[in-house]
Formats: sequence, C-alpha cells, structure tokens
Amino acid sequence: MTSLPEMRDLAQQLLRYEADAGNPSEPVESQILRVYQKLRQCLGELAGTAGFQSLATRALSLARSEVPSLGTVQVGADGNLEGMSAIERSIEVEQNPVHEGGIILLSRLLGLLFIFLGEALTLSLLRDAWPGAALDDRNSWNGRKP
Amino acid sequence: MTTEKKVTINKLPTGVPGLDEIVGGGLPEFSFNIIAGAPGSGKTTLAHQFVFANASPERPALYFTVLGESAIKMLRYQQQYTFFDPAKLTDSIRFINLSQVVLEKDLGAVLEEITKEVEKVNPTVVVVDSFRTMVRKPESDMDLQSFIQRLALFLASWQATTFLIGEYAEEELRDNPIFTVADGLFWLRQTAERNSIVRKLQIIKLRGQDSVPGLHTFRITDSGVQAFSRTFGLTARKRNPPSNRRLCFGIPELDKMLGGGVREGDSVLIAGSSGTGKSVLATQFVAEGIRQGEPGIVAVFEERPEAYAERATSLGLDLETPQKDGKLTILYLRPLDLSVDETMQSILDAVQKIGAKRLVIDSLAGFEMALSPGFRADFRESLYRMIFALTGIGVTILSTVEVDESFTEFPFSTYSISFLTDDIIRLRYVSIDGQLRKIMVVIKMRGGNHAKDIREYEITDKGVVILGKRLTNFQGLISGVPVHSDRPAQEVQSSHDSETKNHT
Repeated sequence: MTSLPEMRDLAQQLLRYEADAGNPSEPVESQILRVYQKLRQCLGELAGTAGFQSLATRALSLARSEVPSLGTVQVGADGNLEGMSAIERSIEVEQNPVHEGGIILLSRLLGLLFIFLGEALTLSLLRDAWPGAALDDRNSWNGRKP
Repeated sequence: MTTEKKVTINKLPTGVPGLDEIVGGGLPEFSFNIIAGAPGSGKTTLAHQFVFANASPERPALYFTVLGESAIKMLRYQQQYTFFDPAKLTDSIRFINLSQVVLEKDLGAVLEEITKEVEKVNPTVVVVDSFRTMVRKPESDMDLQSFIQRLALFLASWQATTFLIGEYAEEELRDNPIFTVADGLFWLRQTAERNSIVRKLQIIKLRGQDSVPGLHTFRITDSGVQAFSRTFGLTARKRNPPSNRRLCFGIPELDKMLGGGVREGDSVLIAGSSGTGKSVLATQFVAEGIRQGEPGIVAVFEERPEAYAERATSLGLDLETPQKDGKLTILYLRPLDLSVDETMQSILDAVQKIGAKRLVIDSLAGFEMALSPGFRADFRESLYRMIFALTGIGVTILSTVEVDESFTEFPFSTYSISFLTDDIIRLRYVSIDGQLRKIMVVIKMRGGNHAKDIREYEITDKGVVILGKRLTNFQGLISGVPVHSDRPAQEVQSSHDSETKNHT
C-alpha cells in the first residue's frame, strides 16, 4: 500500500514553502528536515514528545514498506530524525530534486494526522506552523488506515 | 453609608445548554473551578464546551493536557461533537501537552511551564486536564495543595477563568483541602440503575452567586453535555396569574359538563381503562385548540407520531397540516433511561418554539415506563415539579392515565396523583342490557362548576360522542354493574329537569 497522492502533494507543498524560505543552494535533506522539525514542534506541543515520537515511528515504519532504504533512518526518543543524511547520499536522485524517501516519510506522517485528527484540524495545525501557506482543504479525503 | 458600587462579577456562558441556569446565569469570570468525577463522566467534554464557547483570537484559551488521555486521541474524539470548531485551533484555542514535564520533573516545573505559557499567550480561559495525574508521582517536591494554591493565585491575577479537571471518587469529597481553594466545584456522576445509566451533575460550591442546589440530570449527545435543571429553567420566570378563560374539547355536551371547558392553566386528568377513549378525548382536546388558534403539543410514549396522527385522521381530525404549519408538535419520547427533566426540556423547547397553549401527555403510564428506574421511584414528585412548572407559564396540561377496572371501587389513578390535578374526568365501562357500554363523569374541577351527571358516550368516526341525556334509569353505574332503577318515569324526568351543578 502506498501513501496517498493527496498526502504526497501536501508534503511537496510544504517542502516548496521551505525551499522558498531557505537558501536555494541548500541540500534537499535540509528542507525535509526543516519540514519534519516544524511538524515535530507543532505536534510536540499538542501531543507531547512521546506522542510525536510514536506517530513519527509509525510513519517511518509505513514509509519503509515503500522505500526499504529508509531502514537505516531512526526516530530518536526525543522525536528527532536520525540518519536521513546517510540515506540521502546513497539514493540516486533522478528528476525530482527532493529525496523520495523523505517525501514518503512526510506523506505518511501527514496521512496519520489526517487519520487521527481529520483534515480540518490537521490543516489548522499546518497553517499555524506555516502561517503564509495557502493550504487548500482536501475535501472528501476521509481518514483510512494507510 | 457608601455610595460606591460593589464589584461586578461578569458571567461567562458555559456553552452547556441548561448549565447557565443551574450556575445562576453563567460562570463567574476569573473564577478557579474544579470539575471532578470518575473516568467517563463527561469532565473533558464539559471543559471543551466552555472553552469553545468563550475562546476567540482576542480572548484565547490555553488547554493543558497532562497524562491520561492522549491529546491526539482526545481531539480525535472531541471533534465529533457539534460544538467543536476546528477553525478555533490554534488562533483561539491552544493545546499544550505537559506530559514530558510531569514525567521528568516535578510539580514546580509544571507550574513554571504553565506560568510561562500563560504569560506568553495571556489567555482568558485556562484548562488543566487532568491535574490529578500530576500528583501521583511520589517524588513530587511540591505537594498538590501548594501547587493548586499557587496556580489559583497566579491564574486569577492573570484574569483567567480556570478549570482543573480531576478524577475523584465520591468518598474523596470530604475534608479535601484541594476543594477549599476552588471557587467552583462541579461534580459529575454516572450511576447504573438496573440496565440504565443516569448522569447527574452537582454544583457543590460556587462562590459569588446562587446556583440551583441539588442533583441535575445531564446527558451527553452529539452536541456534547446538556444539563437539565431541577427547576426546568423556570426559576426566573414569573408564574402567570390564574386565568378564567375556558378551553373547550369541541365536544359540546362535554364542554357543558365542564362548565364551559377546562380552565386555562389547569392540569386535567382523564382516567379510564384500556379502550375507553382517553387518547381520543386527548386528541380532540388538542385538535380543538388548534382550531381555536392555540398551538399544541402531544407527548406520546406508546405509539409513534405517525401512528398517532393516522389514528386522528380516522376520527376526522387532521394533525398533519398543523404539524407542517408549526401549530402542533408530536413528541415521541421513548428511550428507557429518560429523566423527567429531559422530558421536560423537550416539552419546554417545543412549547417555546411554537408557543403552545395545550399539552397532552399520553399517557402517564408510558411516561413512567420511559424513565430510568431511579426516576420512576420519584415519579410523583417529578410530576409535581413538571405540572407546577408548566401550568405556571400558562400551559394547560391534559394527561391520560390507565386505571384497572374494578367492580368494587372507582379509582382515579394508580399513581395517587389526583391531588396534582385540577380537573378529573373518569371514563369507564358499564354492563347494561347485555352490552359493554361506556360512561363518563367529571369527578372534580378545582375552581369551577361542573355537572355531576353520569353520561353515556360512544367512540365514533367523529371521535367521542355523548349520547342522550344523563343516565337516570340506573343505580350503581360507577360500580360498572348497574341495576335498572325502579323509579317511575315521571319522577325520573322531574329529577332530570332539576339538574344540579356541583361546585368543588
């Protein structure tokens, strides 16, 4: 089972915001980590460190089924993503400059939020983390087990 | 004597239907409140309703979650309620998880964290859910009482209205110093009565204003908590002065027996055994009201509204059109764990919605069965409160009650509630000339003349039709097995001509 296209679009949208906000020459990995860290911050406030850590671990586990090379990546006890830089270098990037594994991981994390909190609440949290972002409501998306 | 004004305590809406009335108009601003109760009693939902009712970007709320329910799961479930507005997150309502601080540090650190966030956000509403879990750590440097004391002082100074949520059992209520700090103490209970669950709410204390004492029923629905005041929300309303207006049944002979109809604002009881036409009379009463421009409500417990309206159609009474026109509401109330207060709330809502003047309760037996067992035990007392409240606002109530037919006595009701009613009409079967026929008699009319005649009637396709003159040829009619009178016909006629009226 793969991550939903809607979640992938949303993850890419967030990455674009981070790319626009950051240095154009910075590696894709930095953008992925910045998106992840922002999610960690806003979700950590809501769910606590342990709450976020367990969600992130589940998202990583789901992402590994699509991108086995994510096997070397770990979610630390504090919710930090560890080992992304290593996997970054080992994967050959083709057309998309953003690392596929990172996108899948973020898609899975967003997907879990949609499942647990629903679309309205998730987008509300994302808008809080990315105040300038025009995040469209993805209506008709109902939370399902990924 | 000073002319300076006393401080005004603003009252905030609780966001819980019915609770504002119970707490005396709203929750005192800047008050420090505890919501206590067992798990599953509705504490978090009540707090959420308050938060969503009061929070705005200009007056934000902080909701601290501690241990216990996961914040994500809490939001997952709470957003199912209609009051939950996701748009209020995170501009108006901010959820902050303190579980890490609690797990790794002590109560002092928790207080520090709360203080930091409150100073940053400047909230008008603060909730700590659940503060009880914070003190279960044995190594806490700060004891709970000290924590609560300092938190209360701090939050009041920051002009925040606060709710602390805690799991407490009944026996912990006594001599608990925590509760002395609180301005308001809300206790939620959930008890099982046979197979029914009854939820009750008590305002154990509320500084600064009068709350309605006692246990109030509440229910948790899709809309969240709904409370039902023991006073039915009518404490602030003045009782209507007694009226001399008469309300007719639209059955000329019966209206004549009633001295022109029942007095407006009366409670009328129609008692009789099964099949004597109690419901038919009740339907005719409400239909006549609609014809006279008086909206009505029928509370049915034993059949569905469609069936009730269909049966009325067979009597030539149209109940469909007035329902569409907003002149009639047929309430079907049949869950088996109702409280009288909930029933009353449904009736009151309908009364206010359509401006009802006539209410039919069909029947008291069905009403009693719809109540949870605990409320059935208090049925008479509940009826008293309900009738007093409704007639006080000018609603005329007609209740039907089934009585067991007896050939040795003539009971008016199995509930011993005749003292609650102003007027009683008794229907019964009698055995005459090898037929089971029906008679009716007006037993009492408080505050009015009524005929003392015993009249025979039939139920036809036009409803109840009273036949001929009063029955003068029989003795012992109310026994159900009368005997033909031996009096000469002339004497009987003379007696009929001098028909007397009785005044009770």
